[in-house]
Amino acid sequence: MNGLNEVCREAISGNKAALIIGYTEDKHHHLKPFIAHTEADTDKLTYNHNAVNNLAVYLHRFRNRTEGRIGIVVKPCDLKAITALIQENRVKRDDLYVIGVNCSGVVKDQNKEFSKENTQIKCKTCAGKTPAWYDVVVEESVEFELPEDNNALLMKQIEEMSAEERLEFWNSEFEKCIKCYACREVCPMCYCDQCIVDKTEPRWIESSATNRANFAWNMIRAFHQAGRCIGCGECDRVCPADIPLSLLNRKMGMVAFKEFGYRHGTDMNAPTLIGTFSTSDHEEFIR
Amino acid sequence: MLLQRYNMEEKFEPKIAAFVCNWCTYTGADLAGTSRLKQQPNARLIRVPCTGRIDPVFIIKAFESGADGVLVSGCHPGDCHYNAGNFHARRRWIMFRELLEFAGIDSSRLHFSWVSASEGKKWVDVIDGVTETVRKKGPFDQYRKMSRKIELPELEEEGVEI
Amino acid sequence: MKLMKIEKANLSRLIDQLKKDNHRVIGVTPDGKRFSENFDESLKFMETDTPPTAISFKEHFFPKTEALFHYKNNNGAIDLKEPVIDERKTVVFGARPCDSASLPILSKVFNWDYADDFFNRRVENSIIIGTECNHRDDWCFCNEVGLSQESEKGSDIFMIPVEDAFLVKTISEKGAKFIEEYSGFFESYTGIPPAENKNGHEEKKFDYDNVKKWLDSHFDHGFWDEAGETCLSCGQCAFVCPTCHCFDIVDEQCGTCSGVRAKNWDACQFSLFTKHASGHNPRDSREKRYRQRISHKFKYYNDKFSEILCTGCGRCSRGCPVSIDILELVEEIDHLAHSNAG
Repeated sequence: MNGLNEVCREAISGNKAALIIGYTEDKHHHLKPFIAHTEADTDKLTYNHNAVNNLAVYLHRFRNRTEGRIGIVVKPCDLKAITALIQENRVKRDDLYVIGVNCSGVVKDQNKEFSKENTQIKCKTCAGKTPAWYDVVVEESVEFELPEDNNALLMKQIEEMSAEERLEFWNSEFEKCIKCYACREVCPMCYCDQCIVDKTEPRWIESSATNRANFAWNMIRAFHQAGRCIGCGECDRVCPADIPLSLLNRKMGMVAFKEFGYRHGTDMNAPTLIGTFSTSDHEEFIR
Repeated sequence: MLLQRYNMEEKFEPKIAAFVCNWCTYTGADLAGTSRLKQQPNARLIRVPCTGRIDPVFIIKAFESGADGVLVSGCHPGDCHYNAGNFHARRRWIMFRELLEFAGIDSSRLHFSWVSASEGKKWVDVIDGVTETVRKKGPFDQYRKMSRKIELPELEEEGVEI
Repeated sequence: MKLMKIEKANLSRLIDQLKKDNHRVIGVTPDGKRFSENFDESLKFMETDTPPTAISFKEHFFPKTEALFHYKNNNGAIDLKEPVIDERKTVVFGARPCDSASLPILSKVFNWDYADDFFNRRVENSIIIGTECNHRDDWCFCNEVGLSQESEKGSDIFMIPVEDAFLVKTISEKGAKFIEEYSGFFESYTGIPPAENKNGHEEKKFDYDNVKKWLDSHFDHGFWDEAGETCLSCGQCAFVCPTCHCFDIVDEQCGTCSGVRAKNWDACQFSLFTKHASGHNPRDSREKRYRQRISHKFKYYNDKFSEILCTGCGRCSRGCPVSIDILELVEEIDHLAHSNAG
């Protein structure tokens, strides 16, 4: 932890970054996002198993800064979001000072101790405990017991259902949705200035929290994330109604890889999936 | 006797929403019309400049508005009036149909085709094929029942079993 | 007031009878997240020794979406249809003081310039069976906003868990009628009455009057720049809250001829909440929006209706995606107010 504080203090004092987006500990011993503006602020930064938030979502509000770089403390999974945002030209690599963290897994529930049962599913399939790229890296990664992938089991169950059963399953899940849009706001890849659901002329997606409107909203959000979701799982974590949203994104990620060999957030210079095409994309489903 | 002569069962007529591109498929459908080719009358055509214009939200909206099946049709790859609109669309469709399949709307309700301006006969084949597939599948009541409670008496009037 | 008692077994039987009598019975779901008709039949939630539900019970009195009327274009004329109303009486079990108190608080704004029948009708048609709360954690602050773990505000009947039974206090006339109607399940209680004000000796986490005074005069303080800095402007805090009540009225069409005018939950934290038709948005930053949230809850509502628009349940803080803790912020204001005074 000393490594992190030293690096951050040095970043601000040495003008490497004008501010640093990181984590701080609150009175419940949870970690929450914190923006350090001064050297004194950097003492409050910390990192441990409770660092669940994907901080890349805060880049959007600072991206038009003209003075100084945006510092960000980032774990390997969240770095993919930054790679993706650079890939989509949303932020510039030169505007960022990336403080990578060698991660040892994060919890599902911050109220409980870190353990195999209390580790996020994404930690199981993490491509590497070290961030793929960074300006500076801190911490040491420690081996940890990999969790069970319960989502994979649920995906398999869904795929074995008939179409009617699947629609019934999702209908019963979306019935719980309260349209709080926490899933949208916490997602670093959801950054439209005007979200399609807020457009009233014409009204593409009803804003009411009915089954029909909830289905449309979640389907369209999942499609707008197709080939763009980097799998941080934040949407699942923040949903107050416990809807397994990330399964939809996971399905799209699987299709993107199976059909096109594409994984978003791995190559800063790769063309985006849905933004491009190939003349040899398959079409056996088209009459 | 008298009753035997009449088929008392009403045949289900599916409602098909067809999103067609102006330059190829719409013209092809027009050709089918001027050639007096017989076709199933179930498709409601929505003309767009290019299949690249089609946002998947249109497909969802079509099902919401009562479509039992959706057809999306455009120019053959390489023939797009705007050069590459249909290539972009094709890639979108590959992803979107998998998403809908995963959510419970399978390929019997969502169809795609390439129909050029000269393929009036093909248009008829496509329409007939899609209509029969959706007719066999039946009305999409499962989707319409996702309405808010107040609309359910309306659906009951339509004959949807609540 | 005569104290009654109901054995746990009789409580289950009462619930069965209520269902048979075509009542809508609401309790806490097995995962403890919400109030619904699919509640935990073991009634473990009546012990109230766990955190409150993630989502408050207000969705049964002020639904997340509600049809005001349905319209249909009938050859030029417009057919209007009244919303389908569930006429069944509702009985809510396991409502804690931080839940029940929200109803009289909300009733003030819903009967201010306009009597909101959608809300009033539902409250009149319900029996709230409040339960003494056996849980207090670092997010709770019911004591600090004029309530307590034994507050009967908003309850028609109040239950206190004791061994294998519940003590039953009749609070309102509606409650009295209910107990009379189902008197077979209740018995007289002649034991020691429960202790009052169990937590009165605990030190308060903040002094509300102090906080209110600071809010009255510090609209432009630098504190607000930090308070909402990490907020994502989602609507979760407002939607899980038992007292937040902002709504949006929308006309939503389906097809070409028919549609519905609906009343949906809205949140002052949404970035478009105060956007005018001209394009101007007076609360265009999350700092301004967060200042609005705290001020509305702890100052404006009190100025207008003499009620604090908060029951101290802590749901907003527990659920916030970025762990913004409203109690922590109010404690900071209290601290600021003290240092100002000193």
